[in-house]
Amino acid sequence: MNINFSGVSKIFEPDIAALVDINIDIQQGEFVYVIGQTGSGKSTLLRLITRELLPTRGTVAVGDFDLKRMRKSDVPYYRRDVGLVAQDFRLIPTLTVYENIAFVMEAMSVPKRIVADRTKDVINQVGLWRRRGMRPAQLSGGEQQRVAIARALANSPSLFIADEPTGNLDFHTATEVMKILFAINAAGVTVVMSTHNQAIVNSSRQRVIELENGRLIRDEKGGTYTAQ
Amino acid sequence: MTTIKYVLRDTWRLLVHHWVLGVLTLITAGVMLWVLGVTTLFSLNLENLLSRLESELAVQAYLVKDNTLDVEAIANRIQSLEYVYSMKVYSPADSLAKLQEKMGSQSRALEMLGDNPIPWNFEIHVHSAGDVEPLVNALKAMPEVDDVVYAGLVVRRISALSRISSQVALIMFVLAVIITALVVYNTIHISLYSRREEIGIMYLVGATRSYIASPFVLEGTMLALFGAIVAGAGIIGAYFPGIELIRENMPLLSNILLTDRRIIWRFCALLAGFGATLGWVCSYLVVARFLNAITRPE
Repeated sequence: MNINFSGVSKIFEPDIAALVDINIDIQQGEFVYVIGQTGSGKSTLLRLITRELLPTRGTVAVGDFDLKRMRKSDVPYYRRDVGLVAQDFRLIPTLTVYENIAFVMEAMSVPKRIVADRTKDVINQVGLWRRRGMRPAQLSGGEQQRVAIARALANSPSLFIADEPTGNLDFHTATEVMKILFAINAAGVTVVMSTHNQAIVNSSRQRVIELENGRLIRDEKGGTYTAQ
Repeated sequence: MTTIKYVLRDTWRLLVHHWVLGVLTLITAGVMLWVLGVTTLFSLNLENLLSRLESELAVQAYLVKDNTLDVEAIANRIQSLEYVYSMKVYSPADSLAKLQEKMGSQSRALEMLGDNPIPWNFEIHVHSAGDVEPLVNALKAMPEVDDVVYAGLVVRRISALSRISSQVALIMFVLAVIITALVVYNTIHISLYSRREEIGIMYLVGATRSYIASPFVLEGTMLALFGAIVAGAGIIGAYFPGIELIRENMPLLSNILLTDRRIIWRFCALLAGFGATLGWVCSYLVVARFLNAITRPE
């Protein structure tokens, strides 16, 4: 799934410019790090892709959709093709690991047997089958992050958005999470991941988009990152 | 099938999770719908009584004593008035015979009058008590009509009672609708608010608005429906013993009251349908409003 930002600015009330005149073109199958300090506009950029935010100026196009002009009724169908992993996990606290993952398929009226098979697959993929009956509050941060990844994988999305997925994790768990993301990308899925983890960015040399005070200051293939 | 199962499972979860609130909503809806039902039944019975009385209300119009009058033409003119439901024409001879029959043994007193003093007259029945006054005015305006006799005070009281009864029923209807709607609205709003984070996540991972909304709408519909069923049970439990009590103490009213069990059962079924519809509409409105607010991108 291609992503295109054309002259995108996002101004929050009263007059806070989170993003200013961003132009980006991301091709299907790319792995992109969005880097920058806290408050640089990384999360705003990702939330524009998931259509939690709308641009104040410019257009955001993902696949065939112009997100600003998209009909409200199309939003759920668009989001089913976008796997989202948020920094705060956004798991449903009242559901178990299994139910959280199965839910995204149940919401699409996928037949029960397929839901069961696919849920088992993605839980195994993130190594949490033995924890499938637990609720999010009973899991560690790393485990919750893996549940969020499994949920994002459940619908086999074409685009994977991860907002600082390693932000709360120790080095070992973060490495495990990154392995999963690279595997997803190897299957042809576009991955856009925000981070300020220098080690992770420098170890894999992917495309790097750097933001500073809402402005794009670098867009480099095989780039590195030196945190200030 | 998966969706139906999810909606039922989640509705059950909502009902169990907020069971105290649910019971309070059910009781309030039940009480309000019971009051609505009882008021409507009272009003229906009163209407029944009034229409019975109205059907017996007669206006007697006496023509002037003039042998040249075309009685048939006058009768046709009166019959064509919009207030007239039915009319009987009495000749002087018929009227005298009727009077003699009424007076029984005292009818010989009439012989002292010499010639029959009673003119051609009409006994007119109206559609409703409210038609009496305009009919009387129309009759009095006719030069051929000498006198009009009717129970004016009774007519005015019946009309007033009928109006008050309709107004009370209407007020009770509006009150019951408003209070039940507000209670259901608040309960569903609390359910939604307590799960606002969850709803946001559901929308973010691709659940449609109708998928998210269905359990909440079903919760509101079921609470109001159960309230209406409780109200219906309360009405059946109170109405028939009440009717028996009236029959024992006021036998004259027993033929006028609604006693057909099928009608009362149908009325309760109607009340249940009304309750469910009211619950559905309120829940739908609050859920739509809430989802609009929570799913709108910034």
